[in-house]
Amino acid sequence: MKLKYIVFASLFLFVITLQAQIDRTQQPKPGPSPTISLEVPYTFQLKNGMKVLVVENHKLPKVSYSLRIDNAPIYDGDKAGISGILAAMLGNGTTTISKDAFNEEVDFLGAQMNFGSNSAFASSLTKYSERILELMADAAINPLFVEEEFQKEKEKALEGLKSNKKSVDAVASRVSNALSYGKKHPYGEFTTEETLNNITLDNVRSYYQKYFNPTNAYLVVVGDVSISEVKKTVNKYFKNWEKGLDLTTNITASTPNLPTTQINFVDMPNAVQSSIEFTNNVNLKMSDADYHAVLLANYILGGGGEGYLFLNLREDKGYTYGSYSSISPNKYVGNFSATASVRNAVTDSSVVAMLSEIKRIRTEKVTAERLRDAKAKYVGSFVLALESPETIARYALNVEINDLPADFYKNYLNKINAVTADDIMRVANKYFKADQGRIVIVGKGSEVIPNLEKTGIPIKYYDEYANPVEKPVFSKPIPNGVTVTTVIDDYFKAIGGKDKAKTVKTVSATANVTVDGVPFPLSASIKTMVPNKESMEMTAPGMGKLMAQKFNGTTGYSEQQGMRKDLTAEEIADKKAERSIFPELDFTQENSSLESVVSIDGVDHYKVKTMKGDDAVYNFYSTETGLLTQTESKEDMQGQEVTNVVTYSNYQEVNGVKLPFVTKIKVGPQNLVINSTTVKVNEDVIDADFN
Amino acid sequence: MKKQLFVLASLTFGVLTSTAQEVKFEEYKLDNGMHVILHKDNSAPVVTTSVMYHVGAKDENPERTGFAHFFEHLLFEGTKNIQRGDWFKIVAANGGQNNANTTDDRTYYYEVFPSNNLELGLWLESERLMHPVINQIGVDTQNEVVKEEKRLRVDNQPYGNLLAEVKERLFIKHPYKGTTIGKLEHLDAATLEEFKAFNKKYYIPNNAVLVVAGDIDIASTKKMIKDYFGPIQKGEPIVRNLPQEDPITQPLTGTAYDSNIQIPAVIAAYRTPSFKSRDAYVLDMISTYLSGGKSSVLYKKLVDEQKQALAVQAVNISQEDYGIYALFALPLGEVSLETLVAEMDEEIVKLKSDLISEKDYQKLQNIAENNFVSSNSSISGVANSLARYYMLYGNTNLINTEIDIIRSITREDIKAVANKYLNPNQRLILEYLPKKDDK
Repeated sequence: MKLKYIVFASLFLFVITLQAQIDRTQQPKPGPSPTISLEVPYTFQLKNGMKVLVVENHKLPKVSYSLRIDNAPIYDGDKAGISGILAAMLGNGTTTISKDAFNEEVDFLGAQMNFGSNSAFASSLTKYSERILELMADAAINPLFVEEEFQKEKEKALEGLKSNKKSVDAVASRVSNALSYGKKHPYGEFTTEETLNNITLDNVRSYYQKYFNPTNAYLVVVGDVSISEVKKTVNKYFKNWEKGLDLTTNITASTPNLPTTQINFVDMPNAVQSSIEFTNNVNLKMSDADYHAVLLANYILGGGGEGYLFLNLREDKGYTYGSYSSISPNKYVGNFSATASVRNAVTDSSVVAMLSEIKRIRTEKVTAERLRDAKAKYVGSFVLALESPETIARYALNVEINDLPADFYKNYLNKINAVTADDIMRVANKYFKADQGRIVIVGKGSEVIPNLEKTGIPIKYYDEYANPVEKPVFSKPIPNGVTVTTVIDDYFKAIGGKDKAKTVKTVSATANVTVDGVPFPLSASIKTMVPNKESMEMTAPGMGKLMAQKFNGTTGYSEQQGMRKDLTAEEIADKKAERSIFPELDFTQENSSLESVVSIDGVDHYKVKTMKGDDAVYNFYSTETGLLTQTESKEDMQGQEVTNVVTYSNYQEVNGVKLPFVTKIKVGPQNLVINSTTVKVNEDVIDADFN
Repeated sequence: MKKQLFVLASLTFGVLTSTAQEVKFEEYKLDNGMHVILHKDNSAPVVTTSVMYHVGAKDENPERTGFAHFFEHLLFEGTKNIQRGDWFKIVAANGGQNNANTTDDRTYYYEVFPSNNLELGLWLESERLMHPVINQIGVDTQNEVVKEEKRLRVDNQPYGNLLAEVKERLFIKHPYKGTTIGKLEHLDAATLEEFKAFNKKYYIPNNAVLVVAGDIDIASTKKMIKDYFGPIQKGEPIVRNLPQEDPITQPLTGTAYDSNIQIPAVIAAYRTPSFKSRDAYVLDMISTYLSGGKSSVLYKKLVDEQKQALAVQAVNISQEDYGIYALFALPLGEVSLETLVAEMDEEIVKLKSDLISEKDYQKLQNIAENNFVSSNSSISGVANSLARYYMLYGNTNLINTEIDIIRSITREDIKAVANKYLNPNQRLILEYLPKKDDK
């Protein structure tokens, strides 16, 4: 009996220890859900239309006031930047308080106050809360506009533009908005030096009068206040704010989405990372039935550290510090965007990875686990946000501004929980336009373009202000030990040696020539003689001589279909100054310089600069073969500057010297290809050929 | 008698309001040396669990910089009971948020959850400390991530290397001369064994403080803490013997270049004492006086009235062992950097020779009180402050009493501290210039 008893006791003990020992191999289960109480702010309206929302919270002896004017987006056009100037000028004094006295008092109270072009915010300790409200109202209703302050703010705005000029992020955001919405849309326009310089103080004043008024205004009061006190003070300080005129704003339609996905590239040689943004516009409002499903779909794709994008680009591949997506519902036009800043070498792979994840959420049903986790995240965020009394005010304001049903937030968690996996796929297809997106990339072209081209996605090039440009020539750093002398030495080695080059006195070529837009074959006879004599004659079968260009060392002319034009003194001087055969023989460290390494058709070239009169001429030598493959110069044609690009290829040996048999000339839009059939060195050329 | 009672009641009431924002907390140690701080606030169903480790960039081997920050990444890779890649998933799937950060002095990890997930938060943090998985896959992955972080936060940012350039010149011996993010080549060269050794040395309960703050029940929370953290082994006590700096006695100058900027900057930087010293609080006040708000002395003079600067800032970047007091300005238009320094110096000289006005003094006190009140506005903010005050200042209750230190500072103190530290022969003048494409 006794034995039995002991066994029993030890069993009992055992059980107790088991219960005390937590099992840390198992993730702890959540306790019962905490109860949520959603307060409703007290609201009232002033006669001038301003609505006031009050949330009492006495945890800290502080009060905050935030004013928001809910106007439609405003297009500033040739005065873009005016809203920024207004914002900077507001909150700096009133018609009865000087700027210095105003700022001094705000600071003295230990308070904060700042203004936007359609908003204002102030906060202070409870003991100074009435005075700070009075100051804020006075600054909003009776702002101080003086020329000196205006000039100062304009100057600062100009300087701000300058300081952001090389910022990859600033350029990326500007170009992305301009291309997505269009430069004529309020969301797509941007500020430049020119638009800032167009703005006058009168413009700012009338902008304020037109847009900064109480008709669409909301004042949110949060903190250690009593409702009766707020009613009294708000009425006292804001009742004199006069109603403005009714606003009807016409907003230009935003740019439609693209028919097929393309890359829009901006070259910034200083970039150490590429900024990538996939974007398309969406028609999505908070009041839409799809809203909750879209929130979850975006979260699953790229809402955080558990999104498809993050898990692929950061966790799996380590391409980036983070890759995320966002979707902004908007009363006017919304936007979906997926972004990553990645190192140059993986720019193309990152684009491919981002696209594949966007396609995945459109074609692959989300797992029950992921969907459950996404819902838990939204439920959690909703609960966590309740810690801040501002949340309740924000919810109430959203209901007002976005025309939501009064029970929107009461039903919020139910709506989130009701979303299905089919809903996710459906809204992903509707709002994440994988096949109609714009991939805006800002980065170092020389390092990223060759691989981006291999993705097969069409690439369009833009400058830093979203203007379309030709594909730029990208430069790379010059390796140690390479100078203009070594480049030219290598060039001579490649063609057969400098001594050999010096023995070449004349070159004579016959060639087939094709010219864009000329439907019949042309043939040419091209002759050159040291030091600078040149002759070119072009004929067409059955039509005889079409044109000729001659220079005999002292004079020359060009002749087209019988019309002869003598060379000008300036042209003669240019011709005299330059060797017609191997001008490199005259290159020295004094008259030429090695500029950079650039990639041409995937091959690195040394870019060498020489001067022809006042104009720069650039020669490009292949780093692989040493040969000259391209020259580039600017030419003035009928008052317009055109770039003249000549490329050389198909080098063949003639009498021990390599010469290009194919020469392509591109002058402005015109293309000309010279295909040599025979090339002779020191043969068949006499002085008279150049007259 | 009745009347008297009423007076007494209102008196009590008065006392209550003035201490209404007192942060109540309870602290104790586990047997393994881990310090625990609990703060109960049931006003919203939210709880923060956080652990601060007394390890930062200054504790690194000079040939292996970046380790402390690297661990902030590595210790999310998984543990014996948490699969690699599951950490963030678990937190999010339970409606939580989490993050971590590193300074030269300490590393801090935290989660914020709806309060029914308190146990989950404790489990996560105890797993991280008890048996993290440190393997080559994790090291390789996080190595790439840290490199991207550096490009993003430092190399691609205008003025991103400014602080590094200042630290490198102001500190000669002390590890504050390096950056928190460290040198990438050090991380590349580090072996798995070195990472494991670092973990063994610094990630021990007797080098950590756990804070649980928010909607909690004290008794059951204590039990859970004991269950999850109690079994973790104590480590070897850490002995710190960091080199001391010799005083700066001659002016230092330097030039640095940044390819991400168009507008140059000039910095006048002074080496100052630890944030634990009373003088550091005075220097904070001097910063507010010089550049806090539109009515501050330097903003008003250089940006507003004389239009010489695009921006001007005085900051006291104070840490556990030393601080940096820096004046920073961007010129407007053609104004030279020398002019900016001269203009800033003029105000420092005034601080050193005259007392600031009574009104300015009252303003500084008001601003400090506002900051003090605001700093306790979120539960996660309170948790961070409790951990910091305990670990780095050695006095948890500073969360309530710091305002008394500030109130005790006089105008005479401000003058004396300016004279003690802000002298031209004790500082660095750094010109931070745009890098031209050909440089």
